[in-house]
Amino acid sequence: MTSPPGPPPAPSPAATSGAGSATVDRARPPLLRPEAGRRVGGVCAGVAAHVGIPVRTVRLAMILAGLSGVGIVLYVFWWITIPVGDPHVAAEESRPAELQRLARRLRSERRTFPVRDVLAGAILLAAAGVLVGERLGWHLDAGWALPVLVLLAGLALAWSQLDAAQRGRMLSQAGGRTPGSVLRLGGGLLLVLVGVLLLVGRTSSTADMARAWVAAVAVLAGAALVLAPWWLRLARALGDERAARAREAERADIAAHLHDSVLQTLALIRASADDADQVARLARAQERELREWLYTDRAVSGTSLAADVRELVGQVEDAHGVPVEVVVVGDCVPDDGTSALLRAAREALLNAVRHGAPPVSLYLEVSDRAVEVFVRDRGDGFDLDDVPHDRFGVRESIVGRVQRRGGRAVVESGSGWGTEVHLEMPRAPQAGSNGPAARAPEQHDANEETTA
Amino acid sequence: MTTTDTPTTEPVDVLIVDDHLMFRAGVRASLDERVRVVGEAADVDAAVEAAHALRPAVVLLDVHLPGGLGGGGAEVARRCADLAPGTRFLALSVSDAAEDVVAVIRAGARGYVTKAITGPELSGAAQRVAAGDAVFSPRLAGFVLDAFGTGMGDVAIADDELDRLSAREQEVMRLIARGYTYREVASKLFISVKTVETHVSAVLRKLQLSSRHELTRWAAARRIL
Repeated sequence: MTSPPGPPPAPSPAATSGAGSATVDRARPPLLRPEAGRRVGGVCAGVAAHVGIPVRTVRLAMILAGLSGVGIVLYVFWWITIPVGDPHVAAEESRPAELQRLARRLRSERRTFPVRDVLAGAILLAAAGVLVGERLGWHLDAGWALPVLVLLAGLALAWSQLDAAQRGRMLSQAGGRTPGSVLRLGGGLLLVLVGVLLLVGRTSSTADMARAWVAAVAVLAGAALVLAPWWLRLARALGDERAARAREAERADIAAHLHDSVLQTLALIRASADDADQVARLARAQERELREWLYTDRAVSGTSLAADVRELVGQVEDAHGVPVEVVVVGDCVPDDGTSALLRAAREALLNAVRHGAPPVSLYLEVSDRAVEVFVRDRGDGFDLDDVPHDRFGVRESIVGRVQRRGGRAVVESGSGWGTEVHLEMPRAPQAGSNGPAARAPEQHDANEETTA
Repeated sequence: MTTTDTPTTEPVDVLIVDDHLMFRAGVRASLDERVRVVGEAADVDAAVEAAHALRPAVVLLDVHLPGGLGGGGAEVARRCADLAPGTRFLALSVSDAAEDVVAVIRAGARGYVTKAITGPELSGAAQRVAAGDAVFSPRLAGFVLDAFGTGMGDVAIADDELDRLSAREQEVMRLIARGYTYREVASKLFISVKTVETHVSAVLRKLQLSSRHELTRWAAARRIL
């Protein structure tokens, strides 16, 4: 019966969502209770996301543990101690600041009114009023049950602000002293007071000194119990604020860095104001750099094919002054195959900006099966058979390079339509088949680079 | 992006919403005779007010805007939802971030173009949005493919499936992402331009209504759902 409540650790399958930021390994999301998809307090959902196993398994384990009583205690303990939040969002937000985009993220414009809390508070206060009324006159034979109920309700109301602490931070109120939390505390205090007085003064309405003393102690204890989460919350908010300040400092560094680079470029532009081409090139390069800083979360270098492609396109743009539209779908960690593909794509792109006409576009698609690159321009096109055999460009450095790696290259061209080079490289199964033999052509490619 | 050669009947009324005066002036100067600029606005509240007062056919909407509750262009589109279908929104952004663009599209914008677009192209896009079509840049097509997936298992079987693209829609999106104009897509797939537009509109609808995991995650990051 007593199955271990802590689910066994397992490799995270949650991170392998098909498209987008797929294959790059991610740290496991922090332990938070998500608001979406919760059944009771979101404990199981949070644990499942953190450990990376299906929610159903966790719930089952929790229910089994709950039958023996241990699970219930554990659940309530976690409910109280684990803060609310979306683990996946938090994981994304916890990227190092220098890799994060600078522009403010769009916020939800919805203001939430705590309808549920206010309703619950009102009902509980009404119940308290009824109890007080009962003491004064009318008889409602409820005995112990009702006062205890009121007491517990008061405690629950006060403790529930632990949840709200996180939400309070999102409403960006320093310290989180929202009217809601004050109401919670006041209401909880009132309820507990009423409950305790009713309990203590239950047997004799004319209480003697001893009873009064007991009542006072009880009230104090209740108040302390109610105030405990308040202090807990303050401590946590303080920690959060410290972390926020550290991040702010980091951000200031980044801003300074940005200013430097932009100012440099502006000075360069002013210096070469007569040279329109040069100005356009500088402006374009700076625009690209700024855009990257501001609006995208950057990848750690060497882990993202998408980032490599963007960098490559940037180099070509800078060298030739022709804008290239890049669209990337999916991403993967670069390997030998993709770097051969990239070099071929670079040659195709160079051909497009040299011989073709804008707009030039590059499309990269990473699927489970293969990596594909399309390079398109709007020039007059050409016929591959017309290209003299001694010309190395297309045949060797694009088609040959990809084919040697087991890929495929197709050049489609037509006058008035332009040229499209389609490169495809099957994705290697991750097993280490890339021995030293497989590396040999790499050398060859490197030599070619210098002679081409 | 092509400029469709639809016979010009009457210029399209356009409201420009952007917080940079320089940019608004630049857009105003670059637009051709197919559009008529009826007003400008610089923040969320002013934009909502101007849209209700002027009832333009198209609002050129910047994604990042000050004011309101911090929701930017998406907030404007949502607060102007009552003006549909008389007023349509075309997102115009310097940001290439998927989450920003998808937020505005999900709030009701009929298309998305980058600020690098030329004047004639922008005029054409505004005209097309006014006519009820969707305007997809290669970049937006890329986002769609990213969000809906490109694998074999990601193809919708039934037409009314919201969470997956049909094989044809995926094909159209892929060609647009590769830099093809609608007309080139049409000739490549041996279908009419009208059919391409139908597919694109269907994709836009899915983008707005789908509850697909990746989309909801983007939205959840901004607490919009």
